[in-house]
Amino acid sequence: MFKFLIRISSFLGKEFVEILRQPRLILTLVFGPFLIMFLFGLAYPEQSRPLRTTFVVEGQNPLQEQINIFTDSPNPVIINSGVENNKDMALAKLKRNQTDLVVVIPPNPLETIQNNQQAEFLIYHNEVDPFQDAYVQSVARIYVDEINRRVLKMVTEQGQVEAGSAQPSLESALAKTKAIREAVPPSDTTTATQLADLEQDLTTVNENLTTFRSLGSGVLVSPFTVRTSGLSEVTFTPTGFFAPAVIILLLQHLSVTFASLSIVRERHSGIMELFRVAPLTALETLLGKFLSYLVFEIILAAIITGLAVWVLKIPMLGQWQDYAVAIVILIFTSLALGFLISLISQTDTQAVQYSMLVLLASIFFSGFFLDLRLMWKPMTVVAWSIPATYGIRMLQDIMLRGELSPAIIFLGISAIGIGFFLIDWLLLRRHMER
Amino acid sequence: MGFTEKKDLREGNVVLTKDLTKKFGEQTAVASLNMYVPKGSIFGFIGPSGCGKTTTVRLLTGIHEPTSGEAIVLGKNPAHFSDSDKEKIGYLIQQFVLYPQLTVWENINFAASFYGVNPFRRGHLHKLLDFVELADDKRKLAGNLSGGMKRRLSLAATLVHNPELLFLDEPTAGIDPILRRKFWDYFKELQAQGHTLFITTQYVGEAAYCDLVGVMYEGRLLMVDTPDGLRRKAYGGDVIGIRTTEGVRFEHRRQLEGQPFTHGKVKVINDQEIEMVVDEASTAIPLLVEWSQAQRLTVEMIEQKSTPFDDVFVKIIEKEAVNV
Repeated sequence: MFKFLIRISSFLGKEFVEILRQPRLILTLVFGPFLIMFLFGLAYPEQSRPLRTTFVVEGQNPLQEQINIFTDSPNPVIINSGVENNKDMALAKLKRNQTDLVVVIPPNPLETIQNNQQAEFLIYHNEVDPFQDAYVQSVARIYVDEINRRVLKMVTEQGQVEAGSAQPSLESALAKTKAIREAVPPSDTTTATQLADLEQDLTTVNENLTTFRSLGSGVLVSPFTVRTSGLSEVTFTPTGFFAPAVIILLLQHLSVTFASLSIVRERHSGIMELFRVAPLTALETLLGKFLSYLVFEIILAAIITGLAVWVLKIPMLGQWQDYAVAIVILIFTSLALGFLISLISQTDTQAVQYSMLVLLASIFFSGFFLDLRLMWKPMTVVAWSIPATYGIRMLQDIMLRGELSPAIIFLGISAIGIGFFLIDWLLLRRHMER
Repeated sequence: MGFTEKKDLREGNVVLTKDLTKKFGEQTAVASLNMYVPKGSIFGFIGPSGCGKTTTVRLLTGIHEPTSGEAIVLGKNPAHFSDSDKEKIGYLIQQFVLYPQLTVWENINFAASFYGVNPFRRGHLHKLLDFVELADDKRKLAGNLSGGMKRRLSLAATLVHNPELLFLDEPTAGIDPILRRKFWDYFKELQAQGHTLFITTQYVGEAAYCDLVGVMYEGRLLMVDTPDGLRRKAYGGDVIGIRTTEGVRFEHRRQLEGQPFTHGKVKVINDQEIEMVVDEASTAIPLLVEWSQAQRLTVEMIEQKSTPFDDVFVKIIEKEAVNV
């Protein structure tokens, strides 16, 4: 047992010293991720992208005034970049990237509506990115809804004014009806009843008109509004939201890369032949390497996390011990995956290529960019076979929600890690016995 | 009955092979190797590059399993070495396999760890570095060492666990003659300390430093003998050189070739000097002196020739070619 520990310790020291002997590598490993997060925060300060919008109004248009009021008021999504009276000129601006949107105001909108047809706003964009396309469509919908609301509000306000002018006549008609009803002889009950009904109707209309005039036009046009509230008391910036995923992705990538180069390099240098003659087992070799990289990565993770939380002010709502457990499990599983790559690769280059493939798969399938709930169900098998998927979920839950992920997440990643470790052990035994 | 239990096993041998054969596909790397290495000896395994020396070492260290035949090293089949068996073996690989990013000290310390050497080993490791004359360079990165220093570091790493049996695969390849000589001094000292050394080399001249030499050619072990025995086998006896004042004429040479203790033709070196192969130099020299006096020849020099091993090796290969 004592010799077992001595043999394991040989790798602990060796791997550590080899990494520490490359100060540039350490600087890159520690400050690289921090710099990426810092630059990411600088690059994406806003939550939505305002669109430079050019309006095309051909001839006299009754909507012109409403559009001016809307676009000139402070607006997070629409920036007025001019009004053209020629659609082709506006589209040329769009092609030259001088504007993001061209909105063609429907000509003669009132006539179209009076003819019982919807007046159509034509909106042009030059996006090829499907997500930006969806964003532009969403902005366009919001824009048309807002115009509809403003037009309705304007019409409602006009109606209220007109109702105001009609109300004295109504009240006069009500008074006259009342006088006539009182003048009818008591024997003529039929006429008296009809006049009483008319008087009642006029009273109701008058009350409704009063109510109509007393309500705000905004409430009449949009009687319902919405207010959303997350369970978390903290509002996250894009950097805050992405930070846990960035930390996980970087730690996974570093672990996979370190481990994937480790054994393949030794197989090529020839020292594996020495290990085979020495009283060194595959388990001792693997445990030694695991421990050395695990300790190194934990230190690295601690520094990156410290910089993220205390310098970049990334929120940390959960418990530090939960965070530590999640990080250790992720590093262990990523190292196991890296050693597997190392054992199946023939050359250094191949190992690097496989590591890059793991990184790419992680970016696309781990939920880093796209929510896993959007994924086609059968494909989630791919997502949940990547350590980063579990890691991102665990860290987002701990850091952003302040809670632990369900046990199945911890069990899932641990099972993958142990599975990879056992395969690594078997493969290394085969290599060392050959 | 297992090989180790056979009665013809010689006592005190740390390596024994019987018809040891290794094939890679259709190609035979080592064919029917039969040899033994006595405990405490230096066994030189000599042959040109690609003749099967390294494959033999790999068979004896348990890296390869034989296709047929058997090997017994330290009383065990190398394929079934236990950890304690492995601790008795040191292996120096042909190329430098240690870590260039680590210092001399870190490399030797790493080697000591993976052999499971006690952590209180500083003194032992310092002695080793002194032995290979690297004590002053212990803080140098291995990547910055010269070829010779790397070899010495590798040798030190092979010795960290004080192995009983050392397999040194071409330890002197690619280094200058002075350093090669120094390496053989190390090996002699290791032998004096009680180690057994199995050394492969393609420098035929190094056979002279060995107690026993195995000559390997195209996967076959042509012969195993002492360096002198090898010479005798190569030439069919001892080589004696004679120089006379009067010169050795044709009639004299014919007479010498007819003597019962001579073998083959007399070789003319120059007008005054000849070389000849005899059964036994110690008995032939007095007889040759008598013969010279009878022929009224004044002998200026008569001695047993120490033929260069390069020539010995070529002779052995030539003989082998004839046999084939």
